[in-house]
Amino acid sequence: MDGIVVKRLRFHYHMSLTFDTPIQEHHFTLKCLPKSDDRQKVESLEYDVYPNYFVSRTSDSFGNDCIYGYCKEQHRRFLIDVKGIVKAGLAPAVSVDDDCQAHIYQYQTRHTKPGAALREYHAALLPSSGTGNRPRAEYLMHRLHRDLAYEQGATTVATTAEEAMALRKGVCQDYAHILLSLCRLEQIPCRYVVGMMLGEGMSHAWVEVFDHNGWTALDPTNDLIVDDGYIKISCGRDYRDCMLNQGVFTGSCGRTAQQQEISVSVEELT
Amino acid sequence: MELKELSKYSDAVNELLARYGVKFGIYKNHTFKEQLFPFDMIPRVIEQEEFASLERGLKQRVMALNLFIRDIYHEKKIIRDGVVPEEFVYAGSGYLPQCESVLPPQGIYSHISGIDLVQSKDGTWYILEDNLRIPSGASYPMIARDLCRKCSPQTFQKYRIDDNRNYARLLRQTMDHVNTGGHTVILTPGRYNAAYFEHSYLAEQTGAHLVTGSELIVENDYLYFIDYSGKKERVGAVYRRISDEYLDPMNFNEESVIGIPHIYDIYRKGNVALINAPGNGVADDKGIYYFVPKMIQYYLGEEAILKNAPTYLPYYEDDMKYVLEHFDDLVLKDVAEAGGYGVVFGSKMTKEEKEHFLTLLKAEPRRFIAQEVIDFLDIDIVEGNSLVPRKADLRAFVLMAEEPMVWKSGLTRFSRNPDSFIVNSSQGGGFKDTWVLSR
Repeated sequence: MDGIVVKRLRFHYHMSLTFDTPIQEHHFTLKCLPKSDDRQKVESLEYDVYPNYFVSRTSDSFGNDCIYGYCKEQHRRFLIDVKGIVKAGLAPAVSVDDDCQAHIYQYQTRHTKPGAALREYHAALLPSSGTGNRPRAEYLMHRLHRDLAYEQGATTVATTAEEAMALRKGVCQDYAHILLSLCRLEQIPCRYVVGMMLGEGMSHAWVEVFDHNGWTALDPTNDLIVDDGYIKISCGRDYRDCMLNQGVFTGSCGRTAQQQEISVSVEELT
Repeated sequence: MELKELSKYSDAVNELLARYGVKFGIYKNHTFKEQLFPFDMIPRVIEQEEFASLERGLKQRVMALNLFIRDIYHEKKIIRDGVVPEEFVYAGSGYLPQCESVLPPQGIYSHISGIDLVQSKDGTWYILEDNLRIPSGASYPMIARDLCRKCSPQTFQKYRIDDNRNYARLLRQTMDHVNTGGHTVILTPGRYNAAYFEHSYLAEQTGAHLVTGSELIVENDYLYFIDYSGKKERVGAVYRRISDEYLDPMNFNEESVIGIPHIYDIYRKGNVALINAPGNGVADDKGIYYFVPKMIQYYLGEEAILKNAPTYLPYYEDDMKYVLEHFDDLVLKDVAEAGGYGVVFGSKMTKEEKEHFLTLLKAEPRRFIAQEVIDFLDIDIVEGNSLVPRKADLRAFVLMAEEPMVWKSGLTRFSRNPDSFIVNSSQGGGFKDTWVLSR
C-alpha cells in the first residue's frame, strides 16, 4: 500500500462571509495556503482577499503558511479565493529533521482531552493490536470508523472529542479529534490536519501520526491512509491551530450574525 | 542602626503614598476593590558584601533561565539530554507552542525578572520563585525611597545607601537595547489593573508613552502608535503589562479585547520587541523551579550560587515516598496557581482535607511540588508604638540588556498577620524599602 502513485490536482477554495449588519476594523488571519513538503508539491498558487486595507504573509509555529491583514472600512461581505495546482502523493510520509519537536504533539489539548466516555472506549480496545505508532494508530482508526456514525449537524466546531465520543457521532473534525485523543492516551505524537480531498465539496480534516518514518497521514472519516487524492493545507495540535479563517472586528451592538459559505473543488489533471 | 527615627514619618509618607495613588487592586468574588499598599518605614538593610553575593547568584540564575527558554523553543537540548522531562515542559500551562522557533530581538526572553528570596534564621538566602512574565513591584520601593528622602533627608546623609532611583535608567537601557526602531511604549490593560500605579509611574520615570491596546495598531509588518491627533508613529519596543494570553487575539486568546491583533505576527518577523517575551511561563512554573540548579549546571557549567528551598517532586517515585512520610513537615504548592493561592501546609490540614489532598496528589503527581518549611528570619515592623517581628520576603529585580544588571534594592513584602507565612500583596501584606549599603 506504500506504492507511490502521483496525481496532479487542480483546486479552488472559495469562502464568503456575509454579515447581517456591517462590520469594520476587521483583522483576519487565514490559514488556507497549501505548501510543498515531501508528500506534495505546490506548482502554482494564487489568492485573493477582498476587501482589504493590507495583507501580508507569515507562517505560524506549526509551519503553516498564513495570510494576515486588516480592513478598516465598513463591509458586509468578506471573500477569500485560493486556487492552484498541487502534485500529491509524492511520498508516503513527511520526514522530519527534528524528532524532538514532534513530541509537542503528544499532549492532549482542550479539544482532545479525554473524559469518561473516551477513557471507557479506550479501555475496551485490544491493548496488543498493532505495534509501533503507525500500525497502532491504524488499528485505532479502524475501530473508531466502525464505532462512530458519520452525521452532519450532530456536532459543531466547538464540540470536543469527549463530547463527540459520548454521542458516538460526528463529522471529519470529530473523527480526527477522537483519533488524536486515543493516540495521545498511548503517548503517540499525532497532529490535526486540515486539507482538501478529491471529490469532496468541503474542506476536510484528518490526522498525522509520528514514527521513525516521519509523519504518516490517516483519514479516520474514510478509514483510509491518505494518498494522492489529498491536499494538505495546515496542521496543528487540534482544530483551533488550523482554523482556516480567524477574525476580530467591531460591529453593531450585540452579536452580528454571519453566514459562512465554503466551496471547494479538487479535480485531477490528466 | 537607629532606624526607628524614620518611623516618626510613617503617617506622612503613607499619606503621600495614598495621594500618589500607590494602590493595589484586587478582584475578589468578581468585584474590584482597591486597597492601599501599607508601607512600613523600617527598611530591610542588606550589607554590601552580602548583596554582592546575592548579585552574583541572581545574574547566574537569570542567565540560565534565559538560555533555558531559548533552548525549549528551539533545539530542546536539555530535554534530549534528559535533564528536564518533557512532560514538565509541554504539559505545563506556561509552555506556548506559538513561541516555537520564534527568536526575540537580541535573543533575550526575560528582560525584567523578579526573583523572590527568603532568608532563613541561619542567614542563608533561598530562592522561593522566579517571576519571568510580568513581575511587578519595582515602583513601590522607588517612590517610597523618594518620599522618605523628602521627609527625612538627614537619614540619607547619615547612612551610605545605594540610590535605588536608578531603576528607571536601568529599565530604559533594557528597553532601548532591544528596540527595533521607533518609540518605546508601556502597554497597560488600563485603570482597573492591579498594578496601574506602577505602569503610569514607570512610564513617567522612563519617558516611555503609556498606552492602551486601542492606541496601537499593526499595519503591514510594523506596529504604530496613534496619537491624539491621529498621527501614526512607529513603535519598536513594547513593555507590555498584559499577559501573554491577552496580548494578541489573533494568536492567543481570541476573546481578548485589550490586546493588539497581529502584534505577535510582526514580533515573529523581528519588527518589534515585546518585553518580556511571550512564552516565558515555561521557565517560572513551580514544577520547573526544581530544575533551575540543574539548568545552571547544564548551560553554564557552574554550581548554583543561590540555593532553592529544598524541594521534592512527587512525580519522581523517591520524592513521592519522602513526601508521604514527611507530609506534616512540608508545604505543598499547586504548580498551576500563583499569588499565594494553592499553597497548603501539611501540618495545618484536617484529617479530611489531608485525605482529599492525598487522593489528588496521587492522581496528579505532576501538579504539585512539596517544600521544606523554611525557618524564616523575621524582620521587625512598626505596629502602634512597638516593633513586632513578621515574615518577609524579598523580590529582587534583574534586568537584562547587554548583560544582566541587578537593581541594588528590591521589594520587601511582609505579612501583617503574625501567623501567616504568605507575604503576597494580593493577600493584603505590606511592603518595605530595601537598602543596600554602599560600604
